[in-house]
Amino acid sequence: MPKSNEIPVKLLADRLTKLALELNFVEPGKDAGLLPINCFISEIEDALRGQPAPVELAQAVRQARQWLDKLFDTTVAFDASTIAQLGEWQPWMASAIECWQNQQPAPSLPPSWGGAGAGAATDQTMPGSAISSPAASSAAIPGPADGAELALILNLESDQDLLREFINESQEHLQNIENGVLVLEENPKDADTLNSIFRAFHTFKGGSGFLNLTAIKNLAHELESLLDAARQHKLVIDSAIIDLILDGGDTLKQFVAEISVQLGGHDAGQEILVPTRRLIERVKAVLSGDANASSPAHPDTVAQATPSAETPELRAAGNVPGPTALEARGIAESAAGAAVAAAPPPLIPSGQQTKQGASSVPPGNGAGFVKVDTVKLDALIDLVGELVIAESMVVQDPEIITVQSRNLARNLAQLRRVTSELQRTAMALRMVPVRSTFQKMTRVVRDLAAKQHKQVQLILSGEDTELDRNIVEELSDPLVHMMRNAVDHGVETPAARKARGKPELGAVHLRAFHQGGNIVVQIQDDGNGLNKERLLAKAREKGIIKPTDNLSEKEICDLIFAPGFSTAEQVTDISGRGVGMDVVRRNIEKLRGKVEIDTVTGQGTTFTIYLPLTLAIIDGMIVSVGGERFIIPTLSVRESFRPKPETISTVHERGEMVNVRGRLSPLLRLHQYFDQPPKVTDPAQGIIIVVESGAQTRCLMVDELLGKQEVVIKSLGGALKKNAALAGGAVLGDGRVGLILNVDALVKLSATPGLVAA
Amino acid sequence: MPLETVAPNSQAARAGKYLTFGLGREYYGVPVLKVREIIRLCDITPVPQMPDYVKGVINLRGKIIPVADLRVKFRLANTLNTDLTCIIVMQVSLPDSSSTLMGLIVDAVEEVINITAADIEPPPDFGTALDADYILGMAKVKGTVKTLLDIDRVVIAVNVNEEHAVLA
Repeated sequence: MPKSNEIPVKLLADRLTKLALELNFVEPGKDAGLLPINCFISEIEDALRGQPAPVELAQAVRQARQWLDKLFDTTVAFDASTIAQLGEWQPWMASAIECWQNQQPAPSLPPSWGGAGAGAATDQTMPGSAISSPAASSAAIPGPADGAELALILNLESDQDLLREFINESQEHLQNIENGVLVLEENPKDADTLNSIFRAFHTFKGGSGFLNLTAIKNLAHELESLLDAARQHKLVIDSAIIDLILDGGDTLKQFVAEISVQLGGHDAGQEILVPTRRLIERVKAVLSGDANASSPAHPDTVAQATPSAETPELRAAGNVPGPTALEARGIAESAAGAAVAAAPPPLIPSGQQTKQGASSVPPGNGAGFVKVDTVKLDALIDLVGELVIAESMVVQDPEIITVQSRNLARNLAQLRRVTSELQRTAMALRMVPVRSTFQKMTRVVRDLAAKQHKQVQLILSGEDTELDRNIVEELSDPLVHMMRNAVDHGVETPAARKARGKPELGAVHLRAFHQGGNIVVQIQDDGNGLNKERLLAKAREKGIIKPTDNLSEKEICDLIFAPGFSTAEQVTDISGRGVGMDVVRRNIEKLRGKVEIDTVTGQGTTFTIYLPLTLAIIDGMIVSVGGERFIIPTLSVRESFRPKPETISTVHERGEMVNVRGRLSPLLRLHQYFDQPPKVTDPAQGIIIVVESGAQTRCLMVDELLGKQEVVIKSLGGALKKNAALAGGAVLGDGRVGLILNVDALVKLSATPGLVAA
Repeated sequence: MPLETVAPNSQAARAGKYLTFGLGREYYGVPVLKVREIIRLCDITPVPQMPDYVKGVINLRGKIIPVADLRVKFRLANTLNTDLTCIIVMQVSLPDSSSTLMGLIVDAVEEVINITAADIEPPPDFGTALDADYILGMAKVKGTVKTLLDIDRVVIAVNVNEEHAVLA
């Protein structure tokens, strides 16, 4: 064969090898590897197109596509027979290509593969196809035009909550996309808007991937790539591309509408079929730089709208669910079937009207979600806080206390009950369970373990623990990183585990629970623990510590949080993405939380993250300095005591230190720092509060301890936020403002000489 | 209404309604649209390491807002509080185009008056004796002169000085 033939052969051989590799990892009942395999087969299909290849090859490819489509149509997990078939298919293809290359007749198709006729539907979507198999195309005529479309079947039984959340989030993203497109029409290069649309598609991809909504995921992925190209200035947004984005948004909206209809109890368990293939191909065409593709595609959208309205033909047939669909649905069907039967018959007279109904039924999010502006929410919480203060002012009013009235006492008790209930409810408004964030970790661990050929089981507990919404969102990235670490550095390879006498299946626990007014998130692996010698060696090598430094065990563990520290010998795609443990710690401290490490050599490492219940409230220790009250976050207080004079020593008569059980810690007189005339100047008369930030401690000297209280933290306002030593203010019980200290900043400030004296 | 017809420049644009107040023996005015409320002098929590005229923060119905003493800011001699001393809560725009509430301590609030363009003169040039950046103009009303303040700029000055204070 002439030269033109050589390239595809090479490409085909390459794809087949990769496919064989993927096949090794495929397991029945799982969907890992399905998408890559699908992708390779599509590439083989593309490469064969227009080639004078033997008809057998084309048939074989069609056959493979048919198997995969069957998988996509039913469930998205492999079954044993498909794996066996693909295992047989791959070597056959390899030999067939070899024959083709050597211009020998192709080997005959194994009889078990059945006729290739039914797979011919692909022909229609590939007008340029040179594969001409008359038998195939004739068989395809009565077939659906979008035969290769992926159908979605919702797993309503187990994913209902997640789907609901997905729908709720989607509404917002769809809105963002539409708003963004309007901006892009005015200013096609607006980076913010491009980013926001990109993010919207990206979130769609993530969410749908998680829920196994493959058709949505594929589409969102392509659209995301489109926006990504625009973001990187590889693509200029013109009206055709804007149309494409809008069509993409509309298609996603269609999916969302369909899903919410099903969530609303109509048509439960039905296949959702929204054509995406054309759209994906248009995007691909644009991305591959085929300038014509987008413009002639425009009339195509109109054309496409019609088939999409006509797909109900399919659905009409589908109303009597196909046998394949039936198998997959299992038990969920009986309940769903009942729902369909109970619905008044005119609702589903034909497929066409179902389709209409899908868009006219109001979105099924009436299940009790209202989106509220956070500003309003904060205002409500502020006012409730004021109400609580006003209530306690009334109750503690000296005149009221003197009144001896049982009726008044009862009424006041009632008032107190109602206000505290109101306060609790107001606070709960911001709280969401950590479930969805935790469940995302399952995916992270699974993918990573597969990539590293480790066997890891993630065990979740306490997913219903509620946290402030902002915290949950901010927690996701540090968690992903720590899960990666646990699998990457923590759990050993099966061989190494076996050698150490552990089960080959490693376990990573992810827990959330309440502990003393905090939420604790714990990540525990049963790997080999931190290697302290290596940590020390690395830290010395990088100059983070001096060779002479003598570190405690805790300080050694804390080294992994130092900026620029990584013990990973080589930068893989997992480690070394520029997000180190220092960023993890910083993110958690930003949430006013802290991380602790606990490691037992040979038995594993536990990371414990302590987080405040909400960003709005902290548990604070109220102290007085001079005439003023300050609040120290209890989370950073280690202990407080009245020192004996002999525990205090000085350097140059200025730098004071306190001996706290054998460890010296610098003394910081808050009254000096804040320039307040103090009540006491002798530390032995005052109170020492030992605070810690990371591994560093400071002793703060205050006049008195006034108590411990939960306070609502508030910003001091834009005009004052420059004072780093203050984290904010809080309204105390008497209506006055107390200032909240930022312990991290205080520790850093007092470490720089001169400021203490100022 | 004069506000709609005047040219958007010079003194004419500054015509409008002003809340006037007294500081020591002088009278000042701020645009009434920026005034949120006037409250009695209340307990102020001092914030350490702020410039001397930033008196601290107060609790305004659950919101914490900073309070500045204009008498200290303008270096006036007498800063004693009386029964008439009060806090004007104003909406100020910060340089980063966000806006925030801020309280200003003044000796006494007078009235809201309508000042026409004809009554406003540009701020006189004091040379180096006085930084007049934040003065919108001088208004002649009923025989007295009232200094009209651009409150946003007064606050910018607060911020700039603050940085110095922290760095110092």
